[in-house]
Amino acid sequence: MSSNKKAALAIGGRRQGLRGKLPAAATAGPVSIWMIIFVMLPLIYILVISFMTRNVYGGIEYTFTLENYKEMLQPLYLKVIWKSLKLAFLTTVVCLLVGYPLAYWIASKPSKTSAKLLMLVMIPYWTSSLVRLYSLNLLAMPNGFLNVFLMKLHIISEPLDLLYSDTMVMFGLITAMLPFSVLPLYSSIEKLDKSLIEASKDLGANSATTFRKVTIPQTMPGIVGCVLLVFIPSLGMYYVPEMLGGGKVMLVGTLVKNQFLVTKNWPFGASLAILLIMITLAMMWIYTRVGKLDDLEVC
Amino acid sequence: MKLLKKFIAIAVISVMAFSLAACGGGDEGENGELNIYMWSDYLSQDLVDQFTEETGINVNFSYMSTSEEATAKITSGGGDEYDLVMPCDADMTALINGGYLEEINLENLSNFDNLGDIYKYRDFDPENKYAIPYMMNYVYVVYNPETCPIEIDEYADLLDPALEGQIASVTGPRNLFPIALASLGYDPNSQNDEEIAEAYEWLQKYVPNVAGFDSDSAETMLINGAASVGFLFDGQASKAFSEMGDDALVVAELKDAVQLGVDEFVIPKGAKNKENAEAFLNFLLDAENMAFNLQTMLDVDGQAYACPNDAAVALMGDDYQNAPALAIPESVKSNYFLQLDIGDAAKTYDKYWTMLMSEEQ
Repeated sequence: MSSNKKAALAIGGRRQGLRGKLPAAATAGPVSIWMIIFVMLPLIYILVISFMTRNVYGGIEYTFTLENYKEMLQPLYLKVIWKSLKLAFLTTVVCLLVGYPLAYWIASKPSKTSAKLLMLVMIPYWTSSLVRLYSLNLLAMPNGFLNVFLMKLHIISEPLDLLYSDTMVMFGLITAMLPFSVLPLYSSIEKLDKSLIEASKDLGANSATTFRKVTIPQTMPGIVGCVLLVFIPSLGMYYVPEMLGGGKVMLVGTLVKNQFLVTKNWPFGASLAILLIMITLAMMWIYTRVGKLDDLEVC
Repeated sequence: MKLLKKFIAIAVISVMAFSLAACGGGDEGENGELNIYMWSDYLSQDLVDQFTEETGINVNFSYMSTSEEATAKITSGGGDEYDLVMPCDADMTALINGGYLEEINLENLSNFDNLGDIYKYRDFDPENKYAIPYMMNYVYVVYNPETCPIEIDEYADLLDPALEGQIASVTGPRNLFPIALASLGYDPNSQNDEEIAEAYEWLQKYVPNVAGFDSDSAETMLINGAASVGFLFDGQASKAFSEMGDDALVVAELKDAVQLGVDEFVIPKGAKNKENAEAFLNFLLDAENMAFNLQTMLDVDGQAYACPNDAAVALMGDDYQNAPALAIPESVKSNYFLQLDIGDAAKTYDKYWTMLMSEEQ
């Protein structure tokens, strides 16, 4: 082949490449640009300042240090991180335990009914989450509906101390996160091949074994989706503990906020934010390995 | 590739142009504009309209939700979008020494003398070049004499086990550590590690008595009965008074010093309409204008604010002078402290604060 021909081919190839890339640029381009400007650049900035120093007036001094990451290992901060992980974990477990049967039940209905039922799951979330949280607070007040109701029925003699507690925070997290567990679970349960369950029963497995060996593995993508969608946001969720914990429940989200706004120690706040991102990435990585999923086929 | 690059370039430019356009905001009046960043519901709109009418300067407002936000806006480089910003006095040292503020020309402020003497030429701003005080708030103790089991006349009373789960409290290390330090006989703005540690132990006994921490609306807990004692801002107490009646609560006659917070107007570095900002400050400092402002807020929102403008306060009628939230015993009023800059001790405070807040509730 002459070199001329080669060059012509190369140009042709490049033309082809360009034409091939144009649709991609047109469709994914705007989002990518958006993500680069509003997600990637800020994240890089956070990463950079997490290695900087706080100056005496709460500004950022551009001197490299690893102090912020060492600071994080102090027992008091580890305790806060541990507590956040614990609450996020419990929230995930409860959402899974409540969401799975609900999703299963909805999926077992004819498609018209199940669409309506899914709608019912979603409708409460059309109101602002702040309004819902405030109403939870009102409900839990010593002279709120719940306490008055229970006292009128003589079930309790004095108001329960519900307001501003860890319990309320967890309850708030669960109510905020529930639809995120039901939706992915529903979509994978709905795809469940009923003939496999029949086959399992025909072959002599009882319901428990069938559920364990057939249903759960088949709906694994939904379970993984549910865990990811619930665990990750509840870990960093900042306004739920702030509002329902009455500022008394310190989780890592509040800790990060305090570093930025109250203490004005941006570098330390940034390093905590990086830690949260690392935990999230680690979770995703573990799930793709343990769940043997090539990609996260959520929904 | 070239086309892709071109495309990206065009997209980036259009996004940037769009966001720039979004930043511009605001209408220009016939004599220019003035952009203010402050609390909402904290200034009479009628008064602002009057200013626009007199001067032809259009005033645009943006509102903040915490005073930290105001400071963060200035220090993170967004300050030049505004001509006046309202941080609180605690951040003034950091803002002034950090070089974030524009100097105010007092010659343009003919009404400056209306301010009470103790609110001028203060320690953090000895030549009064940077900050003009607007309103003040005390952080004090009120209690409901019917439901509160004890009488309160010092901070140490708040630790009484009889008050378990009874206090509606403001939050934040810089509001709570000072009362512990004051109660222990130390400087409320202490930078001494051991004193802060002792204050932490004091607060460990305080936290179990707190019904809820809420710096925005602690009064709600007093109003709905969740709390019988409030450690809160006078503005919040004022809401509780207007909701519950003037006799439902008592302002505690504290032996310890109370915290006085002052909302300051400052001009951020690079402000585009500095002259307009000064004109507006002078307009606000006018005794009659400020009195009108105070009266409107009292009439409309039922809020009586303590004001450093002595000349304006002198013009106010009985409904303001006798407002229960401002009927603070003289002994309390004269014994106050300010939040001062604490430098690197902020980290120590944060450590103890995190410990305090992460204990099991």
